[in-house]
Amino acid sequence: MGEALKLLNLTWHPLKNNFYHFSTCAFRRTPRTLLIRASSSSTTASGRNRRSSSPSSSTSTSDREAIRAIRLKKVEELRSKGLNPYAYEWNKTHSANQLQDIYRDLGNGEESNNENDHVSIAGRIVARRAFGKLAFLTLRDDSGTIQLYCEKERLIDDQFEQLKAHVDIGDILGARGTIKRTEKGELSVCVISFAILTKSLLPLPDKYHGLTDIDKRYRQRYVDMIANTEVADVFRKRAKVVSEIRRTMDSLGFVEVETPVLQGAAGGAEARPFVTYHNSLGRDLYLRIATELHLKRMLVGGFEKVYEIGRIFRNEGISTRHNPEFTTIEMYEAYSDYQSMMNLAEEIVTQCALAVHGKLTVDYQGVEICLERPWRRETMHNLVKEISGINFNELGNDLEVAKQATLSTLGNDLEYKDKASIEACQSVGHLLNEVFEIFVEPKLIQPTFVLDYPIEISPLAKPHRRSTGLTERFELFICGRELGNAFSELTDPIDQRGRLEDQIRQHEKKRAAVSTNADKKEGTEDEDESYEVTLDEDFLTALEYGMPPASGMGLGIDRLVMLLTNSPSIRDVIAFPVLKVQQ
Amino acid sequence: MEQPPSDPPATGAGETISKNALKRELKNKQREEEKKKKEEAKKAAALEKAKENKSAPPNDEDIDPTQYLKNRLNYLENEKKEGKNPYPHKFLVTLSIQEYIKKYESLKDGQHQEDVSVSLAGRIMHKRASGVKLVFYDLHGGGFKVQVMADASKSDLDEAEFSKFHSNVKRGDIVGITGFPGKSKKGELSIFPKTFVVLSHCLHMLPRQISAPAAENTNVKKDAWVPGSTRNPEAYILKDQETRYRLRHLDLMLNPEVREIFKTRSRIISYIRKFLDNLDFLEVETPMMNMIAGGATAKPFTTHHNELNMGLFMRIAPELYLKELVVGGLDRVYEIGKQFRNEGIDLTHNPEFTTCEFYMAYMDYNDVMEITEKMLSGMVHELTKGSYKIQYHADGTDKDPIEIDFTPPFRRIDMIEGLEEIAGLNIPKDLASDEANQYLRDACKKYEITCPPPETTARLLDKLVGHFLEETCVNPTFIINQPEIMSPLAKWHRSRPGLTERFELFVNKHEVCNAYTELNDPVVQRQRFAEQLKDRQSGDDEAMLIDETFCTALEYGLPPTGGWGLGIDRLTMLLTDSQNIKEVLLFPAMKPQA
Repeated sequence: MGEALKLLNLTWHPLKNNFYHFSTCAFRRTPRTLLIRASSSSTTASGRNRRSSSPSSSTSTSDREAIRAIRLKKVEELRSKGLNPYAYEWNKTHSANQLQDIYRDLGNGEESNNENDHVSIAGRIVARRAFGKLAFLTLRDDSGTIQLYCEKERLIDDQFEQLKAHVDIGDILGARGTIKRTEKGELSVCVISFAILTKSLLPLPDKYHGLTDIDKRYRQRYVDMIANTEVADVFRKRAKVVSEIRRTMDSLGFVEVETPVLQGAAGGAEARPFVTYHNSLGRDLYLRIATELHLKRMLVGGFEKVYEIGRIFRNEGISTRHNPEFTTIEMYEAYSDYQSMMNLAEEIVTQCALAVHGKLTVDYQGVEICLERPWRRETMHNLVKEISGINFNELGNDLEVAKQATLSTLGNDLEYKDKASIEACQSVGHLLNEVFEIFVEPKLIQPTFVLDYPIEISPLAKPHRRSTGLTERFELFICGRELGNAFSELTDPIDQRGRLEDQIRQHEKKRAAVSTNADKKEGTEDEDESYEVTLDEDFLTALEYGMPPASGMGLGIDRLVMLLTNSPSIRDVIAFPVLKVQQ
Repeated sequence: MEQPPSDPPATGAGETISKNALKRELKNKQREEEKKKKEEAKKAAALEKAKENKSAPPNDEDIDPTQYLKNRLNYLENEKKEGKNPYPHKFLVTLSIQEYIKKYESLKDGQHQEDVSVSLAGRIMHKRASGVKLVFYDLHGGGFKVQVMADASKSDLDEAEFSKFHSNVKRGDIVGITGFPGKSKKGELSIFPKTFVVLSHCLHMLPRQISAPAAENTNVKKDAWVPGSTRNPEAYILKDQETRYRLRHLDLMLNPEVREIFKTRSRIISYIRKFLDNLDFLEVETPMMNMIAGGATAKPFTTHHNELNMGLFMRIAPELYLKELVVGGLDRVYEIGKQFRNEGIDLTHNPEFTTCEFYMAYMDYNDVMEITEKMLSGMVHELTKGSYKIQYHADGTDKDPIEIDFTPPFRRIDMIEGLEEIAGLNIPKDLASDEANQYLRDACKKYEITCPPPETTARLLDKLVGHFLEETCVNPTFIINQPEIMSPLAKWHRSRPGLTERFELFVNKHEVCNAYTELNDPVVQRQRFAEQLKDRQSGDDEAMLIDETFCTALEYGLPPTGGWGLGIDRLTMLLTDSQNIKEVLLFPAMKPQA
């Protein structure tokens, strides 16, 4: 709480001295004091948090404040006339798109003003042209746009004057009227009456140059959405994708469940967790880094098909592919193995592509991705051999020999940091994976299932039924990005305990190494391993009660949406991404 | 069909075979010795009690749990040593137990279909041996149960193998069975295994069923529980609450009704989703970690992002973000998701809980009230299979349940008028005045209602309303038109100064929904935040913080909007006759174990 208050003080006090008073509000019994912020450019910028705005790139701050003052005056004028600049509701009969659809065949210059052609719409004014006795407004709602044709004679009372005096671009308007297509072919509502439903105080950014400021686009998503209609489309498609995934899972008989975000131990993956503190329990809690362990406990409890769509948190850097919180679906099915999860992955992704695009070829950043089933299925060993030329099947189990072989084959193609990470590998399995990540991953553009990961890097996967040292695990790659991760689940509690203990030992080793390095370096840059990993005893106990043979899969929903909306950055598909604190 | 119970050994072939051969020989010797011992033991036992337990192993239930676990671990270790995989990778299930029952329940008593082959899998929840050659099991899966009649003469194993194998199948094991359907002479549908594989082992002793359901002739549970009817956890096989919540897998395994609670929860959420999707709402996701915990009044969880070196709060409500999206032009949005409050844990509070919030442009609170009535009554009607009324143990399971009637329309009580009427008060009209504050302090004193400090007007009113009005709200009731001082995000009432266009829905005296015509005047919004700040400075740390981004968003214009929030856990509690929120959370927050 202390921190919150500090933040508040920062936000509030610099502004406090800048209030002056405005009197007002006809309909209130007691005259109210309205606080108006009259700030100079310096106060606007001070004490803002990450979600607040930077000065607009198209309108300078002083312009902005001038416009704001003018519009606040209009608010008062409207109130003094007994009009409410913030209306309570509006009864819409149609959306813009519905009208465009219904009157598709209305000819240029034709009007349609029968009794049942009286329509009522509402939305934001995004363009405005006014002449002597005629004004054209463009109104945009959730579905699309339509023109408002405002003729002085047709409007009731003195509404035409009001329109000219008080309506600005950015206002939310409700309008009633009849339908007409102008000579130029623009379908319009011939306005008889209108109401300002919400008076906007700030100017919209210029449609074409306004929101080039990428940072501002993410910080003020609502402005981004008003200025660029395709932004809202991304979120509509996102909703469609999630809903399609749900539909697919439900139709296969999976039950959706919710497992905790706050956990005593963060398991199910290897990642730095967020830590928080619960006051009344008096203990640290971790934000989940995966839903896996709890969902498997459901299988032990007798649910045979479960899934959870939910937020995962990882305390890691931000990038075009990483946001500290992101959304996944994890699903678990009893009595199946990783082969069936491959089919399910294909099913889910193709259904989503069809729902969004209606076809199975999608363009991603200039590359055509073909989602026609079946997708390529190839082992990690073969892919590494195919692309790097190293045959790990022949390298044997001696780590040093394998490292030397790798470095001598690839030496010239390696960057310094890649060499270092190869040197650092703790086992042949890690080495194989490292070579895979450096050389193969970026080349997996078309959908590919990479099969049979080394056991050393797959602590929750079942040993392969035929190949020693490998697990029944696959990852799905599209556009060089990992989209999914699945295994035949490890059900043997003894084996599981051993593997998790191993993982902890490895982690502690790295941690110790890092902390000695840090001591030397002073001022640590790399404290990646400084968090603690603990054993999830509850999960292990559950396994001891017997979990049926099962397979499970996790899919990254943000990345799937990126693919299906042709978005280059994860920030394009998350409405409010985490951003660096603004200066 | 892939069925690798006898997997190829994991290590190099030649070597293992010889090792295994050795082991097998040893094993065989052991076996023979064991047999002899058993024979002797048998004789001894036969002398003592002549009639029963001829070949059955020592009764597992009499062993101490630690020893039981040890025995099981030894058994697994030996299996592995013998090169067997006790955890097969895959068992192809051809029918679920539910499908099996549906398909074969019409068989005649005593009829067998030996030419049919089906594969079922599930958990053994009951086992009884009838001599060496016949073992009965109850196989549970997907909420259904079928009898397994393992008859040595029908099995692929010879008699000795059969008896040895089945002596190692324990209650709680997950098994896969391939066999044929048939009905016993008594008319119980069973499966007669030809092959029988243990797929996963239960290493712990399961709590015992009170009465062995040996005589039960039904395949489905009697009186299947439906949402809206009562439950009696006192009658569960596993009763201890602490164990039930900590070891939910055990709870689900042993208490079949528990599974129905979570299916009901899932159905409630999908009903809401379907309802809103049909109204053209868009489901969205907003951040769970924020720089400011806004949209409600509660203590937030704090955390820290290392690389960005940034303090963050876990969200306490998604409200402000959702309204920003309405500003952005998404006219109808909703989010179903977790909220987090750093507060105590009790019967109705868990640190994380699930809500649905929706925002609907061009609607006001009257419209939203209608939608609420429609949604909730429709949901109850669908889940209860055709009734608006539910049974609920409001006063504990030892008292009679009450009936809660969701028939629309719901009762509406005006908060201030209602309070004045029922408590005989005449509250000063200007609720922001010191006079009103003093009046309410006196009222609380008069009725001996304690309001822990700070005694702000909002808190005093809240206590009085809780005492006088909420207590009367058993059937769904809207308490409407809350004062501005209690509702910093709600729009002022269009005709009644000092009040807002807000409602809260109470069911069984608990708040389930909270909704209002959204405040969209940025100037007034800032002013309300400033008033909250005053309360905060007077010690109410639950007063709301200003969110500048949100206020700026309002300056771009939020259309007239109706907004709504629903507590999904509480609603699920009502529909599943749960008195404790932990009943409806799969993994509720628990105190660390000592």
